[in-house]
Amino acid sequence: MSAMALELDGVVKHFPLRSLANYGKAVHAMDDVGFGLEAGGSMALVGESGSGKTTTASVIARLYERDSGGLVVDGEPARPFRSRKESLAYKKKVQLIFQDPFGSLNPTHTIRSILERPFLIHGLANGKADLDARLNDALEQVGLSPAAEYLRRFPHELSGGQRQRVNIARTFAVEPSIVLADEPTSMLDVSIRMGVMNMMLDLKEKKGVSYLYITHDLAGARYMCGTIAVMYAGMIMEIGPTEAVIADALHPYVRLLKSASPSPESGPARARLEAKGEIPSLIDPPSGCRFHPRCPFAKPLCSEAVPELRDLGGGRRVRCVLP
Amino acid sequence: MADSTMLEVRNLKAGYGTRKGFVRAVDDVSFSLGRGEFLGIAGESGCGKSTLAYAIMRLLRDNARIESGSVLFKDRDFATMPAADVEAHRWTDMAMVFQSAMSALNPVLSIGEQLTDAVHAHRKASAAEAQELAAEMLSLVDINADRLKSYPHQLSGGMKQRVMIAMALILKPDLLIMDEPTTALDVVVQRSIIEKIEDLRSSLGFSVIFITHDLSLLVEISDALAIMYAGEIVERGPAGALFSDPRHPYTRGLMASFPSLTGPLVRMGGIEGSAPDLLAPPPGCRFSARCPFAEQGCREGPSPALRPLGGDRFCACALEGRLR
Repeated sequence: MSAMALELDGVVKHFPLRSLANYGKAVHAMDDVGFGLEAGGSMALVGESGSGKTTTASVIARLYERDSGGLVVDGEPARPFRSRKESLAYKKKVQLIFQDPFGSLNPTHTIRSILERPFLIHGLANGKADLDARLNDALEQVGLSPAAEYLRRFPHELSGGQRQRVNIARTFAVEPSIVLADEPTSMLDVSIRMGVMNMMLDLKEKKGVSYLYITHDLAGARYMCGTIAVMYAGMIMEIGPTEAVIADALHPYVRLLKSASPSPESGPARARLEAKGEIPSLIDPPSGCRFHPRCPFAKPLCSEAVPELRDLGGGRRVRCVLP
Repeated sequence: MADSTMLEVRNLKAGYGTRKGFVRAVDDVSFSLGRGEFLGIAGESGCGKSTLAYAIMRLLRDNARIESGSVLFKDRDFATMPAADVEAHRWTDMAMVFQSAMSALNPVLSIGEQLTDAVHAHRKASAAEAQELAAEMLSLVDINADRLKSYPHQLSGGMKQRVMIAMALILKPDLLIMDEPTTALDVVVQRSIIEKIEDLRSSLGFSVIFITHDLSLLVEISDALAIMYAGEIVERGPAGALFSDPRHPYTRGLMASFPSLTGPLVRMGGIEGSAPDLLAPPPGCRFSARCPFAEQGCREGPSPALRPLGGDRFCACALEGRLR
């Protein structure tokens, strides 16, 4: 077994609510989230909005700290930062690509000043000439050339795809070992998504980074990642090799997700959705299995205890008592 | 086919006056829609697909106008009809579901008030009749009638979008135009909305124009497809044929832009570059700058017109027939 870049074990993150109506309650954004990401590997974290996938990325990036559970990065357990130096060292290792290329670049700064920041903050450049060379490399790596042409522009002068490429260049500037990509293509036009996805695959190959690729699109997850974890209402429901999970989903929620995904090849004779309803409130999550109120196969047992993430061998685990 | 045609758009040109000049977002667009037909219009942001919908509904903003062309609906030309007459047809004959259900509903009015408002604005009806109609429409979209008293913030995103659909259908229009109705929704909710629209279409028999950037979804649900690029329709035809055998290089590129859940995992191409500026569209074919097959002739003269290929298919590519 190869070295692990990232290991989560029973991570819990609740956001306490302070409004009068919900006083003392909390949003159960992550409960018992555990998975491992091999060094140089790629895992897709798939779920609908409100499933806790972005919270998971933020907890790994340590934008906020987990309530409990283990987080191990490159073999080192994450401890509270005692100094800015420790925090910087962690952030150099773990980088995040944000979803919104329109909101994540400061509109009043030029691309140069946006892209200089990581080099300056982490002290990665030796003087002006070296900095210029690195800025050039960073942009050319993401297919924005001639770099000088882009460096003097402002974000509004770039298309959505180009902005997301600047975001990715900024992410890779500090040579991270783990990249958390939070729906990096969901806000881009269809025709340019593939270009960004292919570029991310090439960069991964070239830099040997590990990806946690967050998406709501099963087909995109299949294209990008060897392993897949499907989240629902703050918990991982199924995890395993992408091909196996998509070809033969075991958890009823994963089957629902698969049957709902657009698939032009299947033609008009497709099966109708089995389950109805929507994702539950995470303030008062359902007892037992969080999917049981919508599950067409639910038994009385399902509302009583939270099922374990059972190991089925072959790298597959599923949080369901049924199959 | 001709006698079942419900809507015919002919050489429609529409756009926006801006400080920098006139942006012709819909340029010489023609298509027809049969009774009960489901037409999908696919295109990327800025290709003019929403402007087309707004032009058909005569809902363009003040800085926008229809330059020329006609929108024939029930033997009348909507493009040139006086605004007061359009008002009489809108909602009763053609209705629209807007992109963002979150902001299209009035937050300070209950769902019931908003549904009955639509009835009172377009038809003589007593309060009780309108209320009854509203309750009936809500149950058609699987929402309990006691939700009439709810306010938008008390509903989930999927429910709000279903309220929008109920509202659009409340006067039983013959044509429903939907502008990205499921874009902001999760896949499972999106699928349940699509299933609902299909059920309602088969029971009520209205025609649909469904506008979205999500071609993979459109291929599955449409009878016919039109692909828009930079203000023009570049290809149209039956959805199945367009998917299995796309002819225009842009359509081919789009079909290679969404990975599949089944079949072998192959590297896909997508399309290089970005769409042209509609303030000053390039000469010749507007896709030529991104087209892998473009020749010198593609970059000159007028933009190629849609040519019939037989089998209800049309393609606006000068190289069509030579590409394989």
